Amino acid sequence: MSDLAIEFDGVGKTYPFFTLDHIHLRVPHGQIMGLIGPNGAGKSTTIRILMGLVQQDCGEVRVLGRRMPAEQIAAKWDIGFASEDMRLYEGMTIAWHMDFIRSIYPNWDAPYAQLLLKRFGLRAEQKIKGLSHGQRVKATLLLVLARRPRLLVLDEPTTGLDPVARHEVLKELTAVMTDEGRSILFSSHNTQDVEQISDQITFIDRGRIIDSMDKEGYLDRWRRLRLEVPLGIALPALPGIIAIRQDGRLAVATANAFAPDMANAYESTGARVRSIETMTLEEIFVANVEHSREQEVGA
Amino acid sequence: MNSRVIQTLILKDWRLHRTQILISLLAGVVSLALLQVKGETAFLVGSVWFFIALIVLGCMVPVSNVINERKKQNLAFLMSLPISALQYAISKMASTLGLFLMPWGVLVIAASTFVLSRGDIPKGIVPLMFILFGLPLVGFCLVAGAALVSESEGWTVAATIVSNSSYGLIWYFIIRNPAINGDLKSPVAVWSPPVLTILAEEAAAVALILGLTLYVQSRKREFV
Amino acid sequence: MSSSFVISQTDKRPIYLQIMEQIKQRVAVGDWTEGQVIPSIRQLAVDLQVSVITVKRAYLELEREGVIVTQQGKGSRVASKPGLGMRLQEQELEKHLEQAVRLADLLGIRPKDLQARLRETGDRRLENEMDKEGEKV
Repeated sequence: MSDLAIEFDGVGKTYPFFTLDHIHLRVPHGQIMGLIGPNGAGKSTTIRILMGLVQQDCGEVRVLGRRMPAEQIAAKWDIGFASEDMRLYEGMTIAWHMDFIRSIYPNWDAPYAQLLLKRFGLRAEQKIKGLSHGQRVKATLLLVLARRPRLLVLDEPTTGLDPVARHEVLKELTAVMTDEGRSILFSSHNTQDVEQISDQITFIDRGRIIDSMDKEGYLDRWRRLRLEVPLGIALPALPGIIAIRQDGRLAVATANAFAPDMANAYESTGARVRSIETMTLEEIFVANVEHSREQEVGA
Repeated sequence: MNSRVIQTLILKDWRLHRTQILISLLAGVVSLALLQVKGETAFLVGSVWFFIALIVLGCMVPVSNVINERKKQNLAFLMSLPISALQYAISKMASTLGLFLMPWGVLVIAASTFVLSRGDIPKGIVPLMFILFGLPLVGFCLVAGAALVSESEGWTVAATIVSNSSYGLIWYFIIRNPAINGDLKSPVAVWSPPVLTILAEEAAAVALILGLTLYVQSRKREFV
Repeated sequence: MSSSFVISQTDKRPIYLQIMEQIKQRVAVGDWTEGQVIPSIRQLAVDLQVSVITVKRAYLELEREGVIVTQQGKGSRVASKPGLGMRLQEQELEKHLEQAVRLADLLGIRPKDLQARLRETGDRRLENEMDKEGEKV
C-alpha cells in the first residue's frame, strides 16, 4: 500500500483549446492539499483525471494506491467527491438522497449524518429544489462527509457560501483531520480558506503547476519589502525578487524566495528598508500569476 | 460484477420516474374505458388516444431518464459513485427499457383482454391490433437508442421527430393493405403471411436497434 | 481547554505566531501550569480550524524556546522552567520597544527625541500613580 494518498507523475491531457502539461503532485496521507489557480487554469481537469472520470493522455495517476482510471471503481469506494457543477435530484428530498447513498456505501454513519443535518441547519424532508444555493452545497457535502471516506476530493466546497455556512463547512473539513489516515484535496478561489486549513498548497496556471509545497514554507518565501531609495540610486536586481515598483523615492519589492540578507543587499546600495511584510495568500496569488504571465510574454 | 450498485441505479431510475409511469398507465386505462362506450366514434377516439399514450410514453422515457440526467448535471453525482462508465451505460439502458416495457406490456395486455372479451368486436382486428402495438415499441427503441448512444438532446429530438412523423404514413400503408383490411370484419383472427411478415419486421427492427445500441454502449469508456 | 483561542484575521502576523503568543499568554497568566498536558497538535488544529502543519510549526518553535515539551507518542505538555513568566514579559517589552522605534522613524522623530518622549511618559505615569495615592489618603 502506498504511503501517498494521491500521486500524479508527468500527467498530461490535451484539449483543442487547452493543455494540461507535466502535472506532478504528491499528497501524503493525513494532509490537506489546497489547489489554487485562476479560472481555466486546469484545476477541474486535474480533479476529473484524479477521479478517473477523464483519462489522461500520458503519465501515471495513483489514488489511495490505485491506478486511475483503470481501478476507479475500487478507488471510488473510499473517495468522497463533490464538485461545484454537481447537482442533486431536484424533485427528491435530502432524506431520499441520504437513503440512496446509504444503500450503496456500507460505512454510512447515520448518527453523524443526523448531527450534520443539525449543524448545517438542514431538514431531511426538504426537497432539493426548495433549497438555497448554500443549502444545496451543504447537502451535497453532507452526503459525502457522512460516509467518512478516506479521501475527500472537493471542487470549490465553499464557493458561494455565506460566512456562517463557510465556517460550518471548514469546521467539518478540519474535523476530518482528527483521523490521520484521512486526507483532503480541495480546489478553491477562496484563498483565505486555502491559507487557513491547507497543509500543502499547489498553484496551477494555464495548465502547468507553478508551485507545489507545504503552506508554511511557501508563505515564508514571500515577502514585501518597502524601500526608501534616495535620488540617483538604482536598485539592483536581486535573485528571488520578482517585481519592483518604484514611485519617486518609495519602492516596493516583491520577493518569492526571500532571504534575510536581502535587506542588507539593498541597504548596501544606499537604499533603506522601511519594513518587511508578510503577504496573504491572495496577494501571493495575484503576484504569482502576474509574474508568470510576464515571463510568458517575455519568453 | 458490481451488480448490486447497478441494481440500485436501476431502482433509483424507477423511483424517479414513478409519477410519469403512473400517468401514462392512467392515460392508457382512461382511453380503454372510452372503448366501453357504445359507438364507433368512441371506439375510434379511444383507440387513437390509447396509441398516443404509448407513443408519448416512448418519447418521454428516453428524454427524462437519459437526457435530463446529463442536462440537469446529475451526472457528476453519479460519476462519483463506485461504478465505471460502462456500468452506468448498461444500467441506463436497462432502466430505460424497463420504464417503457412495463407500462407498454400492461397496457397491451389490458387492451388485448378487453378486445378479446367483447363479443361484439370481430376478432379479425386482432392481427392489426398487434401490428399497431408493435409500432410504438419500434418508435421507442429508435428514440431510446438515439438517446443512449448520442447522449445528446439534439439527436434524440431528431429521432423523436422521425419516428413520430412516420406513424401516420405507416398506419396509412398498413390500413390500405388489402391483406390486412380484408379480414378486419372476420369473426376469427386471420394470421395471413403478410401480417406475420409485418410482425416479423417489427421484431427485427427492435432487435437490430437494441443490438446496435448495446454494442455501442459496451464500447463506452469515458463518462465525459 | 482551547475554546478561547481566537485567530484574528486583522492581525497581520502569520497564524503560527498568533498560536504561539496565545499559548505563551496562558502560561504567563498561569492558566496553563508547569507540566500540564496540552492539546495534541491534531486536536488543536481541529479546534482552531487551522492546518495541522501550522500548529506543528507553532509547537516546534515553542519547544525551541523552551515553553513546551513534546514527547513521541505521549503528546505535549508545558515545560517546567522557572522564570518563564519573566522571559515572556521581557520578549513583549522588546517587541514594544522595536515598534516604538519603527513608528518614531516613520514620524521622523530622532532617537534622542524618542528617549525624551519615553522619559516624559514614564514621569506622567508616576504622577498619575501618586495622585491616586493622594486620593486614597
